[in-house]
Amino acid sequence: MRPAVYLRNLARESRGSRGRMAFFVVCLAVGVAAVVAVSGLSAGLRQAIRAEARQLLAADLVVAGRQPLPQAVIDRLAEVEGGELATLRETVTMASVPARAGRRGGSRLVEVKAVEGGYPFYGRLELEPQRPLANLLAGDSVVVHRDLLPALGLALGDELRIGDLTLRVTGTVSSEPDRIDGMFRLGPRVFLAGRTFEASGLERFGSRISRRTLVRLPAGAPPEEADALAEELRETLGDPASFRVESFRDAQPALRQGVRRVERFLGLVALLSLLVAGLGVAQTVRAWLAARLDAIAVYRCLGLTPRDVTLLYLGQTAILAAAGSLLGAGLGLGLVWLVPHLLADVLPTAPPSAWQPLAALRGIALGGGVSLAFCLPPLLSAGRVPPVRVLRRDAEPLPTDTGVRFVAGLALGAAIWATAAAQSGSALRGLAFAAGLGVAAAALAGAAVLLVRAVGRLPRQRVGLALRYGLAALGRPGAGTVTATVSLGLGMLVVLAMAVVESRLVEELRRSLPPDAPSVFLIDIQPDQWPQLEATLVAEKATEIRSVPLITARLAALDGRPVAELIEEKARDGEERDRWALSGEKRLTWLDQLPDDNEIIAGSLWSDPEVDEISLEEEFARDLGVGLGSILTFDVQGVEVPLTVTSLRTVEWQSFGINFFMVAEPSAVEGVPATRLAAVRLPREREQEVQDRLAAEFPNVTLFRVREIMEKVAGVLERLGIGVRFLGLFTVAAGLLILGGAVSATALRRAREVALLKTLGMTRGGVVACFAVEYALIGLVAGLVGAVGASALAWAVLTYGMEVPWGLVPVRLAAGVAGAVVLTVLAGLAASRGALARRPVEVLRE
Amino acid sequence: MTTPRIELRRLTRRLDSGGRPLTILDEVDLSIDAGEFVAVVGPSGSGKSTLLALMAGLDRPSSGEVLIDGRPIHDLNEGELAKLRRHGIGFVFQTFELLANFTARENVLLPLELAGVPGPRRRADELLDAVGLTERGHHYPSQLSGGEKQRVALARAFAAEPPILLADEPTGNLDSANGQLVLRVLGELRERRGTTVVMVTHDDAVASLAGRRVALADGRVVADERSVGG
Repeated sequence: MRPAVYLRNLARESRGSRGRMAFFVVCLAVGVAAVVAVSGLSAGLRQAIRAEARQLLAADLVVAGRQPLPQAVIDRLAEVEGGELATLRETVTMASVPARAGRRGGSRLVEVKAVEGGYPFYGRLELEPQRPLANLLAGDSVVVHRDLLPALGLALGDELRIGDLTLRVTGTVSSEPDRIDGMFRLGPRVFLAGRTFEASGLERFGSRISRRTLVRLPAGAPPEEADALAEELRETLGDPASFRVESFRDAQPALRQGVRRVERFLGLVALLSLLVAGLGVAQTVRAWLAARLDAIAVYRCLGLTPRDVTLLYLGQTAILAAAGSLLGAGLGLGLVWLVPHLLADVLPTAPPSAWQPLAALRGIALGGGVSLAFCLPPLLSAGRVPPVRVLRRDAEPLPTDTGVRFVAGLALGAAIWATAAAQSGSALRGLAFAAGLGVAAAALAGAAVLLVRAVGRLPRQRVGLALRYGLAALGRPGAGTVTATVSLGLGMLVVLAMAVVESRLVEELRRSLPPDAPSVFLIDIQPDQWPQLEATLVAEKATEIRSVPLITARLAALDGRPVAELIEEKARDGEERDRWALSGEKRLTWLDQLPDDNEIIAGSLWSDPEVDEISLEEEFARDLGVGLGSILTFDVQGVEVPLTVTSLRTVEWQSFGINFFMVAEPSAVEGVPATRLAAVRLPREREQEVQDRLAAEFPNVTLFRVREIMEKVAGVLERLGIGVRFLGLFTVAAGLLILGGAVSATALRRAREVALLKTLGMTRGGVVACFAVEYALIGLVAGLVGAVGASALAWAVLTYGMEVPWGLVPVRLAAGVAGAVVLTVLAGLAASRGALARRPVEVLRE
Repeated sequence: MTTPRIELRRLTRRLDSGGRPLTILDEVDLSIDAGEFVAVVGPSGSGKSTLLALMAGLDRPSSGEVLIDGRPIHDLNEGELAKLRRHGIGFVFQTFELLANFTARENVLLPLELAGVPGPRRRADELLDAVGLTERGHHYPSQLSGGEKQRVALARAFAAEPPILLADEPTGNLDSANGQLVLRVLGELRERRGTTVVMVTHDDAVASLAGRRVALADGRVVADERSVGG
């Protein structure tokens, strides 16, 4: 066909099928919107992080670590002409209200930030009153997060005890440029001046303090200068295990990496809705072609070649795919705009720009590709409609030959793989996703077919008319409801699996602690404080009191090789993940014998009188890459202590007892300075009271309440879960649209049925009931299959991924199935509106 | 001797009907000259429609040959057969088979556009005029009566001026007045263009309008007679 003729016929051919085509467009748009929203939000967030890189760092360059900076580095930084320095020290401690009129005040766990210099160099501290931070911190003052005042019943001007000092609250802070809201936090912020911090006694031996030196380069310095200085400092420090140098040009690599990781995961969840939309699109095209068989035969008689026919419908499909993708991209960008406004309080940056052309293009490309891949098989068979059909109606379209079908199936599989690889950023993850999806879809389809068949065989003589009709309709051959069931089931699977995993995790976190587990941990106890603290705890009726010495040390070498060298090697090999085991400060204890929840699985404890020994937790040893006989050299305040691994053990972490990855032989670390760590069990209602007393009497001791922390983790998890379930709903929506499409594809048949039932004397309400039962059964099958699938998936994730005991979550599953039933009935009835409204005489006259 | 326009040689078509082979056409020989008007008659199931389908290359013979203008069509591929139909063969069906999405005028336009005839719109209007439907061109098939639909189908069939027109029971779904009108229009168009017409019918009165009457029974030609002056 000549192009002009082709285009004219393309337009003519689209007439009369517009209603059905709307399903195609909307279905695809839902899937594309999910993909665009995830990709757009992630890209927008990363752009915003880059754009606000200086604010998020509050400086041009930061050197972070646990130890004070070496003098050489301080000297070098002092040489930066026109530059400026600020230092931050952060730790976690207790803040308490001094006793008033003989009554002890309350206490809270807080995150302290001690400031020296012009922090923040970039970005804004939201302070009240609006005066410079240094002004507010002059004298014996403290600035606290505004949430802390009501929590402790304080007002501006009141006193607060931090460490050994009693300070006056001179201001509140509501936002910091370099503190990301919405992340996990142990407690509200407390700002101190550097010298106040030093006077507070918090910086005592053994306390965990993280230090940051902020550098501002002279105004107008080229950005490359920050990179060059960062590189130079890394060289000078030469100790990546202890110090991290980050310039604003790096733009928060860890944060952006985190955003990327979330994007990859959510991208796959979004892709699932797009693939389900692909199923819907293919079903629409198939139904549409089935209705056009006669027309295709006429075309063939008039001289259109099979290629012409395929191209004609391919063109239609392409136009619809473009329309659906564009609409979806628009909707997705709308979400990119809307979501940050809903989540403004958890975003690290200002709401990112909603104009994300690359995300839109990605959605359009994936939408087009998925439509094409799913529609190719029916489109190829369109060309094979035999023209003789005009004379013999029973001449069905030839089955597409097996070669073409094989190739089309292969293309579809490859397309799913390719899209999954694109969404997850890895070919391997894409393959795993495609394979998993294949298995899940096959299982769902199999279950749906079996259930539908079983329903068809149910004896239905004794049930009511509506139920009888619904059962018959579901079991009828060619009802076209299997695709709808599979799609809905997949959607339900995602939503419910997430709901189950989340619910189990949160339940596990909120569950009452084991009867002998500690409910409170106490750290930073100075050795000479312990007898008195223990006596206080006993007086407060604490039980299960356990205390161990705690050594803070740096891992210096493994089997004689310096750790810094090993880290560089791992970074070169891309094994970023194993770095944590090597870097940072390590905590270890010494014990004569192990607690009951430890089990030696290799070697034996303190068995070699010749060497100083250490016992490692099995997985930690694996992360370090060491085994029995390896020598770990620790740097304890400048003294090198080599320890030989003579036993490996497993630890039952769920017991919440005091446990360590590394336990040293007592004789090996004799005389090494140590603090103490204690764990005790307190009745729940006494926790706050005891905390208040300890905060008043032992201000340097920090107290962690297990339940409070678990509660916070559960809160973060719930928020994450909502995001996934929200995206999962897109898949459910696509499934409902597919059902709507399948129902409206049978509109003519349904209209005739309605007419017949009405002629036979059934009321409109009766007909609605019959249809409702049919749709409810579809929803029930999809919901049940989805719930079983979700339970299986959740079991696998919980058991193998998170090592959390599996348990049925009947309420959520039942609610999910009920929701599926209600939604299907609504969607089905909405799609049968036309058929229900027609008068019998109109239909029967046709 | 001139080459026949359509020639069937030992044409046989078998179908597989529930595992048993069913012979629809059994070694039919038939030769139709250019300009002839042939009526094919016979009872239901005698193979009339299959004969038509094989002549148009819509169906493939089990054995034997179909020659159009002396050229065998059984070894043409689907694309070549489509082009043969586009330029060489027009169709009229009992059930009209107008494209429901197209207006009457667009139905007539389609073969003109496919064949690349210059000035297709003017030609389509002329054809609608010739079948007496000047005013109905913008109507969709669902808005036309049966007789009107069949006249649109005739205009469409003659549009690309094919040398051959195949008609399958063109009056089968029409009342007698409309049937007469359609046959009259068919006759006029045929005479003006010298088209070779093969028309399947089971109505003897309709068959008597043709110059030649071929009777089929059980897949074989049982009579082949020319009317006087036909």
